[in-house]
Parts: sequence; C-alpha cells; structure tokens
Amino acid sequence: MSDYWNLPLNSQVDILINCLKKFGVLVGVLIGASILLFTAIHMLEGDPISLRLKNPDPETVALERERLGLNDPLPAQYVDYVSGFVVVDWGRSLITQRPVVEDVFSRLTATLELTLSAMFLGVLYGIPIALFASSSSAWIYRKISHGLGVIGVVIPIFWLGFILIVVGSLWLNVFPTEGRFDYTYDKPNVTGFLILDVLLTGRWELMGMVLRHLFLPAFCLSFYPAAVVINVIHPRLQDPLTRNLIVSLKARGFGPIRLWVKHLLKLAGAPLVTALGTNFGALLGGAVLTETVFSWPGMGSFLVGAILEKDLFVIENGFLFIILLVFAVVSVADVLANAMDPTLKRDHS
Amino acid sequence: MKRRAPIFDSLLGLVVLWACIGIFYTPYDPQSQAFTLERLSSPSASHWLGIDGLGRDLFSRIWLGSGHSIAMGLIATIGNLFLAGFFLVVEQRAPSWFSRLLLSFIAGWLAIPVLFIALLLLVYFDQGPTTIVIAAALGNVPFTFRQLRVLWRHQKETLYVQASRVLGSRSWNLFRKTIWPNLKPDVLGLGKLIFAFSLLEVSGLAFLGLIGDPDFAELGSILRQNKSYLLADPWQVIWPGVFLSGILLLVQLSRSEED
Repeated sequence: MSDYWNLPLNSQVDILINCLKKFGVLVGVLIGASILLFTAIHMLEGDPISLRLKNPDPETVALERERLGLNDPLPAQYVDYVSGFVVVDWGRSLITQRPVVEDVFSRLTATLELTLSAMFLGVLYGIPIALFASSSSAWIYRKISHGLGVIGVVIPIFWLGFILIVVGSLWLNVFPTEGRFDYTYDKPNVTGFLILDVLLTGRWELMGMVLRHLFLPAFCLSFYPAAVVINVIHPRLQDPLTRNLIVSLKARGFGPIRLWVKHLLKLAGAPLVTALGTNFGALLGGAVLTETVFSWPGMGSFLVGAILEKDLFVIENGFLFIILLVFAVVSVADVLANAMDPTLKRDHS
Repeated sequence: MKRRAPIFDSLLGLVVLWACIGIFYTPYDPQSQAFTLERLSSPSASHWLGIDGLGRDLFSRIWLGSGHSIAMGLIATIGNLFLAGFFLVVEQRAPSWFSRLLLSFIAGWLAIPVLFIALLLLVYFDQGPTTIVIAAALGNVPFTFRQLRVLWRHQKETLYVQASRVLGSRSWNLFRKTIWPNLKPDVLGLGKLIFAFSLLEVSGLAFLGLIGDPDFAELGSILRQNKSYLLADPWQVIWPGVFLSGILLLVQLSRSEED
C-alpha cells in the first residue's frame, strides 16, 4: 500500500470509509460475541469456583465469589467483563492462578508463528505451481496442480503430520519429533515469535535449531493454504479471455517471469487475498490439530484444557480475543483486496 | 463429453456399506483387550493389521471406527443441509431488513472455524459423539447456505421456472415439480462435499479428544489413542489415516466425476 498517497483523493476517501466500516463491524462482533460467551458461561452447571477451592465450604466459596465480583448483578458483571477485556485486564486463571493475558499471548504467538509460516510456505509454492500449470500446455502440470488443490483440502492434516514425523524424524532423522525449542539452550524472550527473537538478539547459532523445529509442522499445515491458492488462481486463469491474454503476451515475447508476476498475478491478486483472509479461521483450526500432533505449545491444548476445566476467565477472554482476531484478519484482507481491485467495490454496493 | 460409468460413485457406495456393517459385526470385539500378550505385533493372517498397544485387534477397531465416522459424518451432513435450507427459506420469505441482518450474521459465522464452535458447544453440553456431530453440522451451515442460495437464485431466474409461475403454479408445486428436479444433482454434489468436510471435522474433533470416552472407536480417536505408539510401531498411526484419507478421496473423486 505504499502508493496509497498517489491515488486520487476520492479513492483514498473510499479506502478510509471502508476501514471505518470494518471497524464498526469489529465493534459489533465484540458486542455480539461477548454477550454470547457471557451468557454461555453463566448458564454453566456446577459452580467453577467451588470446584477449585481446597475446602469448598459455603462461606469460603461466597468470599471467593465476592472477591472475583461474581455476586454483582449480571449487567454490572457484563460491563466489568467487556471493559476489562478492552483495557486488557483479563484476570487470573482459576486453575494456575497465572494472569490470563500472559498465558494467552505466549500460547498465541506460538500458534501464530506456525500459522503464518504455513501460510507463507503454502503461498510460496502454491502460486508457482498454479501459475505454471495455467501457462504451460503440458497436461501433467495441470494434473499436479489440480491434485494438490483437491488433496490439500481433504487430507486429514493430523494424519499428514504423523506421516511427516515418520519420514522426516524416523527415517531421515533430520527433524525433531516435537516441540518448538530445544531446552538445552536458553530461550530468547523478546516478542514470543522465536524466529524474530533469534534475529533480534542476534544469536544465529539457534536459528537452525528453531527452523528445524518449525519446518515439519509448518509444511504439514501449508498444504491447506497452497490448495486455497491453487483453487483460487487456477479457475481464474482458465477463463478463455485470460487464455487469449496468455497466448498474446507470450507471442509478444514476454519471458515467463514477467508474464507471471507482472500480468497474471495481478489478475488473481485481489481474490487471492480475500480467500486467504476468509480461510484464516480454518487455518487456525488446522493449526490447533497440527499443534496436537507435534506437541507445539500453542493455543490448541490451552483452550481445550480451559473448556474442559471450566476455567472462567480464560474462556471469556481467550475466546473473545481469538474471535476478534479472526474477524480482524478477514477485515484487513477485505480492505486490502478492495484497494487492489477497484472493480470489487461495484459488486458490493 | 462422453459420460463415463460412475466407478467412484459405486465404489463409495460399497465402502459406505462396508463401514456400516462394521457397526454391527467385526471379526473380534473392538473393545476387549484380548491379545495383551501380542501387543503391537505385526499383521498376520488372523489379525490383518496387527494388534494395538492395548491388545486389541486393530482391523476390527478401524472397521467399527469407519462405521462410526461415516455415520457421524452423514448425520452431520443431513442436519447441516436441513439447517441451511431452513435459513434459506427464512431469508427468502422474511422482510428485507431481516434477510439483510441474517445475511450479515451468516457472513460473520462463516469466519468462525468449526473447532471453536465445537469448543463453545462444550460449555453447554458434555463431551461425546453427539456434541461433535452438532458442532460439525453447525460449523458448515454458512458455507452450505451460501452455496444453496447461489443455486436457488440461479433456478429462480431460469425461463422454465418463470414460465411455470406465469402459468399459475403454486409455490409448493412449483418447487416440487419444476425446481427440485433441476436442483437435485447440484444439491447431491453439494451434499457430498459437505459430507467430506463433516467427516474431516468429526474425526479432527475426535482426534483432539473432544469425544470424551477414550475407548470410543472412531478413525480420529483411534489415531489419538495410537499416537503414543508412533515411535514403536508407526503403522498403528498410519492405518487409521489410510482408511480416513481413502474414504475422503473417494468422496472427492465421485464428486469430480459428476462435473
């Protein structure tokens, strides 16, 4: 978006208005989702507090509930909850007594590192495969691309993970079977994203180890975004008009790089961004499965544990945050796609 | 294009039938730990896929598991199609402000992954197969709704529907005699896709352990149970996945056969 300021004024205003609208949607989601979560939590059978206390006699339970503000009238509790969420005061876990914010962020960065690397990898090999299949006339490339587009969507990702462990760790003995970091080293802790932390602290000797931990899970998860990329690009470029464009561009003597990057990618760019955005939630779901296979210390086990243990504040705030995150990504993708392709706007209105 | 005989369709039918038999009959009792002495032994004539880590016949477990997975996937698919159809009828009939509200609600719902829906449902319900099926059915509703809506709008615009309407057919007859015969193949294709998604989601949720009962045989939960034997005997983990992927691939192939 570096050329935002070069756009005519009315498109700049359009993009701004679009951003504001998306922000409004996010606020709506915040309210809707928080009401949903709040009522869900308060319909819970069994008092989560009395399950946690060492001697749950009525007096201590009442005292504890009073301390956590659970005896206030419901509307007041709801306002407390939402305002607490907005100012990032998320309370403490009932089980570990650790601040929820810290736990959510340390888990979330692990999940995001995995998700974003997978998306990056998938796009990295998905785009060339799709473009190559569309611009070459050889039948075999089209088959490969089509096959990957089908398999990437339907293959059980958790099973693929085990296959990769068997091949990469047991047979080749190159990759570790689980975890994110080798704890014989001491862990750099700046942002929570390990690759970034290694870069920031300049401890290059750790880079290989971190990347080797990351590669198998990220590759496993990358099949999904790769399939999304292929399924979006391929039909677009199969369009008869586009095929003619390819032929004429080739006839003008454009090399493959220029043909693909400058012309074809531009055609498929906006829908690609939209598709990747809307599939971000599904990718997060896939990441949770991948985490379980590779014992990756991410959101998955954390949220499942919180639900099963009825950990009040983790559920209320952690879930709300994830839902908002998913919607934020979808909105950003939408704004980007709109900015990339002005014709999209006409479809919406 | 010449229409080929629907090989994959028939194969899929056979596999579904085979899996359903597994619910009622398996060579050995899938739950009883009868072969603890031969734990993790390799495949033999009497135990086709060997024995699992707790001394149970793996083939029997996978057979029953395929049955459970397919049944759960089918129920989720049917529920899903009904719900999406219901929303579509509401959207078409309701006043326009309500339809618009419904549409934006569904657009929002689309972004939330099934996994989180399942986890949220667990706040209300106990762990178990039913919860997983409900989650899988609910999770795909927005997708099905959108696909159905596209199909429906396309049908509404066609000349034969308009002609039939001009000739005075009432809405139920119009639907049953004019629209449905043309809609049916598309809805069946959509149903297959939803079935593939539901199957994948059901076993994914079971793999996460949301099915509760650790003994429950379902392809995903078998994978979870055998996860700890991955290093000792990789085939314990590979086999259930081979069956699951095989079924999913067949569904996809039979779907692409129709295009």
